[in-house]
Amino acid sequence: MAQSEQTGIIGKGITIRGNLTGGGDLVIEGRVEGQISLKNHLTIERSGHVEAEIRAEELTINGEASGNIDATSMVSISSSAKVAGDIKAIEDGAVFNGTIEMDVKLPDNI
Amino acid sequence: MANTVIGSSIVIDGEISGDEDLVIQGTVKGKISLKESLFVDSSGVVEADIETQNVEVSGKVTGNINASDKVELKSDCRVIGDIKAPRILIADGASFKGNVDMDVKER
Repeated sequence: MAQSEQTGIIGKGITIRGNLTGGGDLVIEGRVEGQISLKNHLTIERSGHVEAEIRAEELTINGEASGNIDATSMVSISSSAKVAGDIKAIEDGAVFNGTIEMDVKLPDNI
Repeated sequence: MANTVIGSSIVIDGEISGDEDLVIQGTVKGKISLKESLFVDSSGVVEADIETQNVEVSGKVTGNINASDKVELKSDCRVIGDIKAPRILIADGASFKGNVDMDVKER
């Protein structure tokens, strides 16, 4: 079983079209199209493919995500991820001090 | 154990399709079509038409169930809708309202 009953897993072979809302953590290894709004942590695994408006508190992307992302606390995009869309993790008007680090491998011939 | 779990706090409004087992502990409204087995746990609420190979219901299902192999209604489940499957098991204590069609060919 999953670690806690709050956790949801969308496996590799599963496709969901529509609205997905919830309070717990969610791991997506399959495909989700539509809207996701989650109170806790959303993880899109390497095999995961999400075409959706995403709202979550924390978001970890290892796979593919397209659509606007609104995370209230944190977005983590790993080197295996492909993301298309606007990310809103820092609210307008906020003061941000720090760096945005992107793991992009440049081709050798540059 | 199945790979995919819709946890108890998750609500899905739409369509779920796939070729692996699915466990529902939360709420799903819309349509479910699977090539494998569907388990609706005791906390699960499904308001959807279901098309799959096997279904095991311990929770609540409102909608028609069409299974290519087996439907199992466990005790304490609550199912409202028509069931079409070659094999159907209804446990003592299960609540069920609807038609049963086992697709028996007339001789």
